[in-house]
Amino acid sequence: MDYFAGVDIGSTMTKVVIVSDKIVASLIGPTGPEHRKLANRVMEEALKEARLSFDDLTYIVATGYGRINVPFADRQITEITCHAKGLQSLLPSVKTVIDVGGQDSKGIKILNGKVMNFVMNDKCAAGTGRFLEIIADSLGVPLDKIGEISLTAERIAPVSSTCTVFAEAEIISRLATGEPIANLLAGIHDAVATRIAALVKKLNVEPDIAVTGGGAKNVGLVKALGSKFGRELLVPPEPLITGALGAALMGKDIYEKYAAEGLKPSRSGHKLEEATFFK
Amino acid sequence: MAEEKKGRAVATSTAASIPKFVRGNLSATLKAKEEGKKVAAAFIADGQDEIMRAMDIVPAWGESFSGVCAAKRDAEKYLQKAESDNFSRSLCTYATCNIGFDMMREELGQAPEGAPWGGMARPDMMLGNGQLLCDPRFKWPQATQHYQQDVPVFVTNMYYPPWDPNGDHHEVEELYVKYAKEELHETVKFCEKITGKKMDWDRLAKTVELSDKTWDLFIDTYELRKHIPTPMDTGDAMNTMVPLTFNLGTQEAYDFYVSLKAELEQKIKDGIGVADPEKFRVIWAAGLPSWFALGDFQYFNSKGVVFPVEVTYRGCEKIERLDLPKTNDPLEHIAWRWVRYWTHWYDAAKKRPGSTPKVERIIEYIEDYKCDGAVFHSAFSCRSWHAGIMQQAATLKKVYEDIPILIMEGDIVDISSYNEADTHNRIDAFIETLAAHKARKG
Repeated sequence: MDYFAGVDIGSTMTKVVIVSDKIVASLIGPTGPEHRKLANRVMEEALKEARLSFDDLTYIVATGYGRINVPFADRQITEITCHAKGLQSLLPSVKTVIDVGGQDSKGIKILNGKVMNFVMNDKCAAGTGRFLEIIADSLGVPLDKIGEISLTAERIAPVSSTCTVFAEAEIISRLATGEPIANLLAGIHDAVATRIAALVKKLNVEPDIAVTGGGAKNVGLVKALGSKFGRELLVPPEPLITGALGAALMGKDIYEKYAAEGLKPSRSGHKLEEATFFK
Repeated sequence: MAEEKKGRAVATSTAASIPKFVRGNLSATLKAKEEGKKVAAAFIADGQDEIMRAMDIVPAWGESFSGVCAAKRDAEKYLQKAESDNFSRSLCTYATCNIGFDMMREELGQAPEGAPWGGMARPDMMLGNGQLLCDPRFKWPQATQHYQQDVPVFVTNMYYPPWDPNGDHHEVEELYVKYAKEELHETVKFCEKITGKKMDWDRLAKTVELSDKTWDLFIDTYELRKHIPTPMDTGDAMNTMVPLTFNLGTQEAYDFYVSLKAELEQKIKDGIGVADPEKFRVIWAAGLPSWFALGDFQYFNSKGVVFPVEVTYRGCEKIERLDLPKTNDPLEHIAWRWVRYWTHWYDAAKKRPGSTPKVERIIEYIEDYKCDGAVFHSAFSCRSWHAGIMQQAATLKKVYEDIPILIMEGDIVDISSYNEADTHNRIDAFIETLAAHKARKG
């Protein structure tokens, strides 16, 4: 049996997926400044879960912002392409992907698992997961609860500031005037969704539309985004691993393409060991 | 102190001679006083190049100087100086960098220490010109005059008929030419007053004739880039535009393109391309580059992507194609050349419903140069040119083909707008999109 691994080093989380003819392991861990060390550790955990050794892996693809810092990977492919591939296997009807990551947001148009177009936002924290993290912290509400709480709002309290820092100040002053937290969170989710929708609508958006990344785990944000696009948005079962899954499947494709011609793709030859780069 | 920066290689040896050209233009302003010549703060594509050359006025190109500061990653101190007097960073950073430099030069009584290649001399006059291209160019000379109050300013404009898919621009072209001609005649009068010399009209006519020859030669040279693999791409073109843009009407500019053409012909003969192998050809469809990040072109090249053509700094066209009316007035010729440079795309655009002249131009280049995709650069401080980029990209997809498009974001001078890791990430994703698109097309 051939096994293929995808390693997605995002700005906030590191994800590893191992596939054969199905997903045999998937693991998520926080990304730190030492990408290479962490990639090793998450991979070791994933291999344990799959009851495999590093030598059992046929091909490894790294993706995400930190993809260059995965010395044991055989190839690097951008998260844009890997998301498209991953989504095709999870939700084949999807033609537009909205990926809400820790420090950026993306819109991706896909056709048969291939990227047709993409847009990215990164110059500003507004419209990213980081914005929600900061607001959750200011309000003293756990990040994983803000979406649910926003759905209990009586009204959407408008948040006019698009800057993360100023929005935080605005929220605090509105809180002082007695605006309920739920209303403020609804306003915040609406503001983030507005910003992301403005970005993604630069693409010729076609349904079905799916949300991936950490933002997809926030039910309030998914609902707010749905209202901007006038339809219900799809969310894969584990939205965080879409890129890593896509990377593993890209590796499988590459290997099989070579195998069809009786060849094998070249490997990096690196071992799964701690890199010395950061020492 | 300037940030350490790795030098950028150029593919052609002719392009490698450009720094000498730029340095020569700057030092010409510094030598002008001892040569008894007047210096004019001037702006590119202003129709006044030949007037200055024919009257021995030395142009001090503020846009070029700011670009040099950016390329050397040494613009920050000038931007901060301008900012200290409330010039917002969101204004044109060519202007704010240059104004900051002017402010420092006025305070010190000489060019600030460490100014790139000695900096630029204090001008004897300022020739402002917006040209429907650039709103800062109306106000920039007036703004910098606050610090050089004895330097006279003359601001003109040369309009061209606005694009109207339902109108006939041919009916109004002559009016626009008449206006532009008057503006140029007024410029001559102003220059005569400042220099105390009369215009030599025969010399001006010869200068204009040389410019026309340079326009033709430039296009003949650049069209060699249609060859596969292309012998030169936009990374070099951002250098080789210098003689056309800043030295029009001089023999040096013409001779430069003679050398460049010979080199490209030799490269084609030898089968030498910018990238080996050349995997994808893309057009630089709009936008000024980030002068501090020209190395990004090499990043594209290293991945097999080349730019055989760009809209930026292709500020000329084959004269024959413009079908210019005959005239004995060199200024009227300049005016016609200016107006037709823009309007000659109008008829083509009318034939494609929903298109615009700018988009039509991109489509023509995509087809002629066999491009697989398009890259636009959106420089935040350059509103006048870059504000329409998203609309151009959307129109291109709508009226032509859903080709892969990359919108890069940054600035022309302000390095704080730039994130190399993110830019390269976008480029990587764009290249993967090009591959997917090409595979789909078979």
